[in-house]
Amino acid sequence: MKSYIAQRLVIAVLTLFGMSVVIFVLLRMAPGDIVDVLFSAAGYVNPSEKQAILRELGMDKPYWRQYVEWITQIFHGDLGKSYRYDLPAWQIIRPLLPVTIELAMLSTIVAVALGVPTGIVSAVRQDGLLDYAMRVFSLAGLSMPSFWLGMVIILALVSWLAWIPPLTYVRPTENFWLHAVQFMLPALAVGYRSSALIMRITRSAMLEVLREDYIRTAWAKGQGEWAVVWRHALKNAILPVVTVVGIEFAFLIGGLVVTETVFNLPGVARFLVEAILWRDYPIVQNLVMFIAIVVILSNLAVDLLYGLLDPRVRYA
Amino acid sequence: MRSRMLPSLVALLAILDVLVGGAPAIGQNPPASPTPRSGGVLTLAQREETPQGFAIHETSTVSTTWPAMPCFSNLVLFDPRKPQESADTVLGELAEKWSWQDNYRNLVFFLRKGVKWHDGQPFTSKDVKFTFDMLREAPDAQGKLRINPRKDWYANVVNVEAPDPSTVIFHLKRPQPSLLLMLASGYTPIYAAHVPPAQYRTACVGTGPYKLKEWRKGEFIEYVKNPDYFVKGRPYLDGLKYVIIKERGTRVAALQAGQVQAAFPGDTSKTTAEQLRKAVPQLVVTRAAENVNENVIMNTKKPPFDNVKVRLAVAHAIDRRALNQAVHQGGAAIGVSMPSKPWGIWGPAEATLATLPGYGKPAEEKARAKKLMAEAGHSPEKPVKVEIVTRAIAVYVDMASFIVNELKQIGIEATLKQIETAQWHAMATRGEYQIGANLTGIGIDDPDANYYENFACNSPRNYTFYCNEQIAAMVDKQSGEIDPRKRLAIVLDIQKKLEEEGVRPTLDWRVDNFAQWPQVKNLVPHNNFYNYGRLQDVWVDK
Repeated sequence: MKSYIAQRLVIAVLTLFGMSVVIFVLLRMAPGDIVDVLFSAAGYVNPSEKQAILRELGMDKPYWRQYVEWITQIFHGDLGKSYRYDLPAWQIIRPLLPVTIELAMLSTIVAVALGVPTGIVSAVRQDGLLDYAMRVFSLAGLSMPSFWLGMVIILALVSWLAWIPPLTYVRPTENFWLHAVQFMLPALAVGYRSSALIMRITRSAMLEVLREDYIRTAWAKGQGEWAVVWRHALKNAILPVVTVVGIEFAFLIGGLVVTETVFNLPGVARFLVEAILWRDYPIVQNLVMFIAIVVILSNLAVDLLYGLLDPRVRYA
Repeated sequence: MRSRMLPSLVALLAILDVLVGGAPAIGQNPPASPTPRSGGVLTLAQREETPQGFAIHETSTVSTTWPAMPCFSNLVLFDPRKPQESADTVLGELAEKWSWQDNYRNLVFFLRKGVKWHDGQPFTSKDVKFTFDMLREAPDAQGKLRINPRKDWYANVVNVEAPDPSTVIFHLKRPQPSLLLMLASGYTPIYAAHVPPAQYRTACVGTGPYKLKEWRKGEFIEYVKNPDYFVKGRPYLDGLKYVIIKERGTRVAALQAGQVQAAFPGDTSKTTAEQLRKAVPQLVVTRAAENVNENVIMNTKKPPFDNVKVRLAVAHAIDRRALNQAVHQGGAAIGVSMPSKPWGIWGPAEATLATLPGYGKPAEEKARAKKLMAEAGHSPEKPVKVEIVTRAIAVYVDMASFIVNELKQIGIEATLKQIETAQWHAMATRGEYQIGANLTGIGIDDPDANYYENFACNSPRNYTFYCNEQIAAMVDKQSGEIDPRKRLAIVLDIQKKLEEEGVRPTLDWRVDNFAQWPQVKNLVPHNNFYNYGRLQDVWVDK
């Protein structure tokens, strides 16, 4: 097990190195740079002034040198300086992380809480009224983009209650209930969409397992529905569900752009888009690396969960 | 000799100014009824992060002036309570009094005494000299801006002199009455000489009514009342909070729910205002000009727009009224390069407007446009194919799409190309386009600010590269004209000439429907959204 984790971590380091090169190159291939954006707020671009600012920001150096400097800084625990804010990148990024991680976790919890039970019920009551109702429910979830659902929630609240959740981040230590309300609504909007996918995967995995001989044997032995479904069927059907949950969580870390924008939450995804538009390379590079790390770690966690959930899985 | 004479000159000017520059200083106006109450925090919507922090001198956007103005003071400012800005509404702010001297060649300011910067340092004439030397990039300037978008505003200033701590003299090459208006713009705060200009990108040390409390990046900007503000009893509010809300729908919902008490200037379209009024009838909506126009930029250095007939054909082809209906639901104002009454004071009257290219009857205008195209050697069988560029932002794209359709009707096949913000101005400045749909904001409703910035031969913002010495001479002439009537006549001639040359045809002037809750008092939108953000007189009636 330990050697497996070590092996995966080595691969993770190589993946991160590859990611760092890709993001560094892609960013510089995009037309325009931070100085063009700065000048755009002034309505013109002056080539000599532009050159001076590029020099000031260290962007006149050869690309390979900029890359080496960035990686060296990371190894020294320094994420560089935001071009836009003229502040250390870590100072900008740090407050964003808890917001996005909390929202992604809550959304995943909502998705699992909605998706897994409905998937099970739908499979067990296949082609029954309940199954059709669940399938419509999940299809609706897949069809409705979460940002649209988010905006509908906001508009419904303001129209009916003349109230919307707070638009500046409320820390849990400041006011826990307000904080919970602030996060629950976007988590519901995002979680509902993700739950649809989880429900469909759960349903199809369960249907497959429910047709297995050992399930028929369990029924024949006179075991109750609860025991057959939960103990025998779900345990064997859960692996693809865990995989999807892991992928969804990793996706949510960087994919909450519009939800964070609609609910005005100061998270990673919204900030990342802003930073890309501003060509704020230090912020973009480090945020992308953060997202890559989360993806790698959640994949690793899913793989390790396999071993816990299915004793047949062995790590070499 | 000069230095010995200066104190007596200053004393003499102090006496003269009572007769000459007798406008009241800020805070001396009687408060509007009902009686203002102190206290409370005003929450305002902010459509995006302020692009350069509080460094107003390094930007040209209301996204910076609106949330940064409360921190600063100018020498003079447009009266916050008067919606129509003009030379008559200029009040003293850091300057208690001022006086034009030597036939408008010297402008002397007598500064308030005892004013303190937010960090406790005393404010003196050195700060004023520091600011304007930096802005006009004087050889001996103590400060330097990274980007200096309004350097042209001070091209006529030869020297800024600070003979004593409370007097500043602007020496001009020639008379320029507009200088006072430029100094009254929200774009002209005084920076502290002891603070590096770069620091304003991350923090704010001003003399204004509010002190910066916190700027949480991407979330909000918060101010608290400045207890040492130089106007006693102001500001009324304990603080201000600008909540950054990127999504327009959420901003509207926030206003509707009362989470913000005032909209962002320029953000409320006619349709949105109607929706808001329906949902919250008590909301106060005020129609106010933004001093932002929508225009067509044509590169006069590249075919086919190097041909005046083709440019004029474009000007004739676009039906301004139909554009206003289609894109703004009739909410914009029709006008040429300067806004007409009631939105501005320099634009031509309706009757004159109707005689200019593009403002007549649509069918006749289209026929004229086709004739001009034919004269330029183009026919429907042989259409001109061009690429029309615009910024990849909804307000630009809507306008550009309309233009594409209009041009098609006169034999110009235009394909729309959207340019990201990061490239837009670089592309326009370098002239890497044929024709484009553009928006232009002007800091004050004044010909100097507009023509030197957007039409002068060497201005970096003259995206069309049109250069006409005759028009340049007319611009200089109006700039130096002291008699307002004579000046207006020249400005009207300039506008006619520009339209006849098909230079950057204006399509409309945007009009805001500024929305605020009724308990917000004394927040009066001006005919220019860059200039009413100080908020020292604003109070909340709870």
